[in-house]
Amino acid sequence: MASEFVASAARFEMMQHYGFTSLAYAYFYYYSDAVLTILLFLALSSLYSEVFRELNAERYVQMGSVVLLAGTALFSFAVVHQSFTAAEQSSGKIFFHFVFEVSQNLYFVGLVLTYILWAAILKLRETRTRLIQLVLSLGVYFSLYAANYALRNLYPSAEVIFTVLNPLIGCFLPFAWAYAFWKLPEEARLAPAELAVSPR
Amino acid sequence: MSKQLAVIAASMFILVGAMGLKSAVTSKDSGAVLLANGSAPTPPTPKEWRRNGSAPTPPTPKDWRRNGSAPTPPTPKDWK
Repeated sequence: MASEFVASAARFEMMQHYGFTSLAYAYFYYYSDAVLTILLFLALSSLYSEVFRELNAERYVQMGSVVLLAGTALFSFAVVHQSFTAAEQSSGKIFFHFVFEVSQNLYFVGLVLTYILWAAILKLRETRTRLIQLVLSLGVYFSLYAANYALRNLYPSAEVIFTVLNPLIGCFLPFAWAYAFWKLPEEARLAPAELAVSPR
Repeated sequence: MSKQLAVIAASMFILVGAMGLKSAVTSKDSGAVLLANGSAPTPPTPKEWRRNGSAPTPPTPKDWRRNGSAPTPPTPKDWK
């Protein structure tokens, strides 16, 4: 959250100084987004460690996180490498496209991981309310962006609406996590089965 | 050893699933960029910099539209 705050302030400063359509703002925006996506992925890994701590599986969670991060980076590089000719690969443009691709791919990896984590919480009958709130809000956050992106691709004529929604969705996670840390005490307990739909 | 291999296999499975999901979501690509951090306005992507239409063309990044001996690199839209 602190990194996101710093990045947002820096982005605003860059936009004010260089302009919205400037190359400097674009480069800074996409590079900072890649860093923030990696930090979000690491935050998700820490949530996994919290959930699987009682099973003494933290070591395997950390190993899995490293393998997943490395695999995503390798896959992204392979995709970008294919698209550039030998002469273009020596330029700095391939690195920028690689950073862009990693950010996009890591986002979808985080989306899948969040849903798997929620399934694990239900299966393990995790009761820590704050942890449940953090994971649920992360799932909603990822899903909102994915839905916005998908609808934007399906209905490009309504792009103005989805462009406005993007920054609004960006405010959701800080507010949800601030609520979780401010209003929910550490010792609060909640049965996740109450949140799951039970067949009748 | 088997647990480590299971972790690696699970990670690869998750990666394949995520990339499949990405392919499904981006099947109808309109050049939009998926970004998930912060509320700052998204700058135009390389594809949008090269788009022609009724709207005034924003300043184009010189590197992406350079003509000469080096071929123009593909934009994210062209990769699809």
